[in-house]
Amino acid sequence: MFSRPREPLLWMAVALLSAAGFWWAGRSRNPAPLPGKTIVTWYQLITPLQDLHREEAAAFEKAHPNIEVRIVWATGTEYNTKLKTLAAAHQLPDLFFAGDVWLSYLRPLMRDLTPLVRRDAAAMGLDDFYPAIRAAMQLDGRTYIMPDTMNLSLLYYNRRLFSEAGLSEPTDGWTWDDVVRAGRVLTRPGTPGRPGVWGCSRVEGWWGEWLIYVRQAGGAVFTADGRRCALDSPQAVAGLGFYLDKSARYGISAPPGFEPANGFVNQRTAMVVGGHVSFWLSYSATPGLDWDVQVLPSGPAGRPGGELAIAGYSISATCPHPEAAWELAKFVTRPEAIAAIVARGGVSVRRSVAEAAMRDLRRGSGPGNLAAVYRQFDYGEPIPHNPYFLEMMYNLIQPEVDRMLLGELTPAETGRRAAAAVNAFMANFDPEGS
Amino acid sequence: MDRRHPLATVCLYAALGLGALFMVVPLAWMVLTSLKTFPEVIHSPPVWFPSAPQWGNYRTVMAGFAFYRLFLNSLFVAAMVIAGTILTCCPAAYAFAFHEVRHREILFGILLTSLMLPAQVTIIPLFRVFSAIHWVNTYLPLVVPAWLGGNVFGIFLLRQSFRAIPRSLIDAARIDGATEWTILWRLVVPVSMPAVLTVCVFTFIWSWNDLFNPLIYLQDESMATLPVGLLYFINRSQQIASASADQVPWQLVMTLATVMVLPLIALFAFVQRRLVESVASSGVKG
Amino acid sequence: MSARGPRSTWFWFLAGPALLGFACFNLAPMAYSLWLSLCRYEVVSPPRFIGFGNYAYLFVHDPSFWPSVRVTLAFTLTQLPLSIVASLGFALALNQPIRGRGFLRSLFFLPSILPQAVFAVVFVYLFQADGGVLNGILGCLGIRGQAWTTNPAWALPVLVTASMWGFGYPLVVFLGGLQNVPRELYEAAHMDGAGPWERFRHVTLPLISPVIFFNLVMGTIGALKVFDLAYVFSVTQGKPPGGPARATLFYGLNLYEQAFGYFHMGLASAMAWLLFAVVLVITAVNFRLGRRWVHYGD
Repeated sequence: MFSRPREPLLWMAVALLSAAGFWWAGRSRNPAPLPGKTIVTWYQLITPLQDLHREEAAAFEKAHPNIEVRIVWATGTEYNTKLKTLAAAHQLPDLFFAGDVWLSYLRPLMRDLTPLVRRDAAAMGLDDFYPAIRAAMQLDGRTYIMPDTMNLSLLYYNRRLFSEAGLSEPTDGWTWDDVVRAGRVLTRPGTPGRPGVWGCSRVEGWWGEWLIYVRQAGGAVFTADGRRCALDSPQAVAGLGFYLDKSARYGISAPPGFEPANGFVNQRTAMVVGGHVSFWLSYSATPGLDWDVQVLPSGPAGRPGGELAIAGYSISATCPHPEAAWELAKFVTRPEAIAAIVARGGVSVRRSVAEAAMRDLRRGSGPGNLAAVYRQFDYGEPIPHNPYFLEMMYNLIQPEVDRMLLGELTPAETGRRAAAAVNAFMANFDPEGS
Repeated sequence: MDRRHPLATVCLYAALGLGALFMVVPLAWMVLTSLKTFPEVIHSPPVWFPSAPQWGNYRTVMAGFAFYRLFLNSLFVAAMVIAGTILTCCPAAYAFAFHEVRHREILFGILLTSLMLPAQVTIIPLFRVFSAIHWVNTYLPLVVPAWLGGNVFGIFLLRQSFRAIPRSLIDAARIDGATEWTILWRLVVPVSMPAVLTVCVFTFIWSWNDLFNPLIYLQDESMATLPVGLLYFINRSQQIASASADQVPWQLVMTLATVMVLPLIALFAFVQRRLVESVASSGVKG
Repeated sequence: MSARGPRSTWFWFLAGPALLGFACFNLAPMAYSLWLSLCRYEVVSPPRFIGFGNYAYLFVHDPSFWPSVRVTLAFTLTQLPLSIVASLGFALALNQPIRGRGFLRSLFFLPSILPQAVFAVVFVYLFQADGGVLNGILGCLGIRGQAWTTNPAWALPVLVTASMWGFGYPLVVFLGGLQNVPRELYEAAHMDGAGPWERFRHVTLPLISPVIFFNLVMGTIGALKVFDLAYVFSVTQGKPPGGPARATLFYGLNLYEQAFGYFHMGLASAMAWLLFAVVLVITAVNFRLGRRWVHYGD
């Protein structure tokens, strides 16, 4: 009574459909290259230079007809997790965006470029990279990164707000006191129809700004041998204290959580300590924003400090065609490529490009005081090399700093708690041991 | 029953009204925001209704973001998961309802414990295994568990419903020489169609809303399902925002969120009575 | 008895896939993760046995473990009672003979089928400090708003509020329980002169206690699972997950971050096993307590 002649047909249809479904579900999304062609996958952070990266890839394909470039984009928030996840899944891209901040963390995934660099040193103009940059490309004497951009901490200021407040512009040799004095004059509350202005912005949830103060006060995150956290030193605590006092004591920065979104661009903050070179493009593109830079003000320890970091490209350790990836790495860091980036507003990692930019007075995309930028080169300090640097900064130290801003901890307690957490972490996750 | 005091009636309606407001306002705000211009979005005090509905926001999201693909990806995963759920949960539920084997109830109890298990508990070993067999960046980690009876709640609901079928009916079919497979698909499932549909709807909702698994297994942006896509979109829009010196374009984020919940609401409009009733009975019978 | 052999073969054939799935996707991973929890496993190198080091680090040194336990507990202890009371209250109201009951019932239920990611996005937007709706309304009333989503004191209450948007689910479960209470019992109680409160206390409450119990267990487990809501909450604000200052670092989120943010897979496996143990204990305690005060109608 239950058997129907069409039933087997129905089940066959179900089976076929399911098989098709599984085929689609399990299909590899990396299509095979055409015969005679090599595919180089390029994992790239989305930045304002995105269109430039696309152009570079197209130009490279034209110059190397047998290589196809496939760019995989990621944003900053996704970047590290995704790369490690791909590594865990044995699907690392051939060439990937990397910086010296991540160097020791990602080193197990990176190819040692030393032999290639040595072989092609003359052709690619290795000596053209500034010595500080060349040092940042390396770890323990081995080269891992080919740089195309860099960041320097600077003092950014809004010229219009300064002149409206009757202040003279910041000079080389400013100190914390000068920042506070100017900040107090610049800060004014909002009135209906006219938003308020804060004298100085404050970066929350990231070490970009407070680390500058810690260093300017003579402190550091780690001891010289890198084996212990030094945030509990009086100098470091003084640096954290200044970061807090900007709002808590001097009132030149917004209370925590009320930092105006994109305050510098919207002209609601008059100064930025630290900042990032990659914002130059959007600063210059904003109508009515008259801005410039100066060497960082110095703190109690008498030097401006600040970070010097590079970003560029690494080749993955498992890349099956390293020569093709190496060609691409050299291509996107050649002088013409660097010049294109600098033309957008950026700091050159190559001396030849920097000097050409300094001579060229028709520039208009960067700050006026370009001399201050290259002077800051002398003060920049590299990020400490520890595989767990980012994790320790974000996960162990930053929450304590956040609580300090909210008034839950004093700077001294913050330093002590952060140091205790980092020291316990390093004892457990000894980089040598794992 | 005694008549309610008029004051009590007023209070009752007021409370229900407030509750309903709490349910409606976020949803309405989401949809209204998706139709605003950016100045309206950041206007203070808040603007409730857009002066002119900006249908262009929907066009912007569709054009600027691989939106259709995400939508189809989500549909594909949901379809595969539903198919697997029906094809494996129905037999399992039938077996646990009408086949006597030793320790059947204990076995069923153990099976049910996986309902209590948070996904986080098993994710690490599964990720390691799926990486080793190159299943990361395919849909297989999302689909295959469903084809192995992964929806234990579905088995539970179906078994409840199957048990309402009189045993004599099954036995009669067995005497007629029908195989168990035929009895299942020709007798048991058709009779329990409402329950099967309910399981389909629930499975669709879970699959459509799932963020945790796609976030881990689908690293290729073109493969993303909608919840992951929403995150990608937010990340991208902030990138755009810092370049063009704006805040998060909330109107576009809300546009994507609206499109994401639209199929759920449409589905709900059709099956609400059945869905609500099966949820209502889950606590009583469980 | 002759039917027994083939019949039980059919059982294994029909239930086989589900049982295999259970073994593959639950049992085996549990066992494997027990092994991993005793290892240092950082993905780039193979697992290395270290004994109970991960557990010791979690309990003694890890600065995020106990905060994540605290956050989860605080969430459970505020959200669960709130949602039980609210959903029971509204279920009682919706159980009255009122106009538009079916419509209201569906309306209350609707948000609970929406993705948690959307919950987070919408509530971040409603509550953000600069340009948020709540602060806008407060501003009209002349009250200075808070930085709700970035202040550690307020971030968790915002998430509790957001998750309350989904209280339609327990509400509908309660409605099911209430509709199962026989009318005659109310009438009998009414005859005896019992007021509305006595009727609720002595008739309704005992009879729906299994449903309360069900909602309690599901709510507790739900709180232990929270991930989407907290993760999207932070990502929407462009912040690392769990912030501000670990105020929204739920246990489930912390586990994910340790495993897929920092790739301490061994440490995260230890967290997974602790979570599993807690789920077991909660379930057992709930059932033990449940037996004492839950009245299952015979």
